[in-house]
Amino acid sequence: MNAKPFASGLSENAVVITRVADRQWHALDDDLVVGRGHAEHRPDGRLFVSIDAWHDAAFDRLAEVMPAQLPAPLYTVVDEADAELTAGWRRAGFTVRRREWEYVVPTDPQVTGLEAVLPPSGVTIVPAGRADEGLLRAVDRAIRDEVEASVGWQSMPAEVIPRPEGDTVVDPSKYAVAAGPQGYLGLIRVVRAKRPRIGLVAVRAGEQRRGIARALLAHALGTLHRSGCAAAWTEVNESNQAASALFEGVGARPVSSNLELVR
Amino acid sequence: MTRNKNVIEVEGRVVECLRSAMFTVELENGHQVLAHISGKIRKNYIKIMLEDRVLVELPPYDLTRGRIVFRYRN
Repeated sequence: MNAKPFASGLSENAVVITRVADRQWHALDDDLVVGRGHAEHRPDGRLFVSIDAWHDAAFDRLAEVMPAQLPAPLYTVVDEADAELTAGWRRAGFTVRRREWEYVVPTDPQVTGLEAVLPPSGVTIVPAGRADEGLLRAVDRAIRDEVEASVGWQSMPAEVIPRPEGDTVVDPSKYAVAAGPQGYLGLIRVVRAKRPRIGLVAVRAGEQRRGIARALLAHALGTLHRSGCAAAWTEVNESNQAASALFEGVGARPVSSNLELVR
Repeated sequence: MTRNKNVIEVEGRVVECLRSAMFTVELENGHQVLAHISGKIRKNYIKIMLEDRVLVELPPYDLTRGRIVFRYRN
């Protein structure tokens, strides 16, 4: 351990950046680590960077050196309320690519107005844990292909967790689905950890505007309400007007926002 | 409490979620620090909530602020 005492700021020496691993950098001041940078690929192949530094000078040096040693484009995520961090990335040339709102969603049918909502004729909602796994994986794959062929999956909020290559349905028991005569038409994923989170609600392209997503949401929120959960959370890309309308229509309100930055 | 890479790491509990993406964390010794979340946590969309048990890094020269670097599974 370095026994040198810390001053309240950086020393007179310039901050030195050292690449300590393939995707890891340290900012050193008098041999003390005053900042760290990381880069990692997401499952969609994009390269995301992050920097943790106690001083702007260390942040700026890392933000200058790392992009020079990595292939463009680079991405990062900031909480929009964190003005200091956002300003740091802007100084480094990063610009806003998209904004993602976090909504808190009430579950009480008296509040959501979903009490009497039923799926359209010929469609039934299969509760979480009872969906056929093969059909579930098929509709998930089909929806993701449709999204990729239109607006692109990168525009969708997605919790990034390690998963087997190509497998997007990690835990089938978390999905309720809308079933039609020919197969599944849509799905909703609710993760019931400490804070219930709606991770995904999606409907096949040819089946949209029939009220299927609203029926899935009514089912999921009703289930949460009956189990004692007063609210759920979800994230919606700002440009996804249909999703915003769906959630705001049931009384959801935005509580925070994340910015995805790119350079 | 551990010392690593010139920082002090302490376990704590989130007692308040503040504006500006900041949190008040009560440490094991009862002290409270103002903490923000690390870039790796943010990058991986890990949400920090009230009552979460977390690992906080403190700079040795300012023990009133910190950085949340890990969220424990409660």
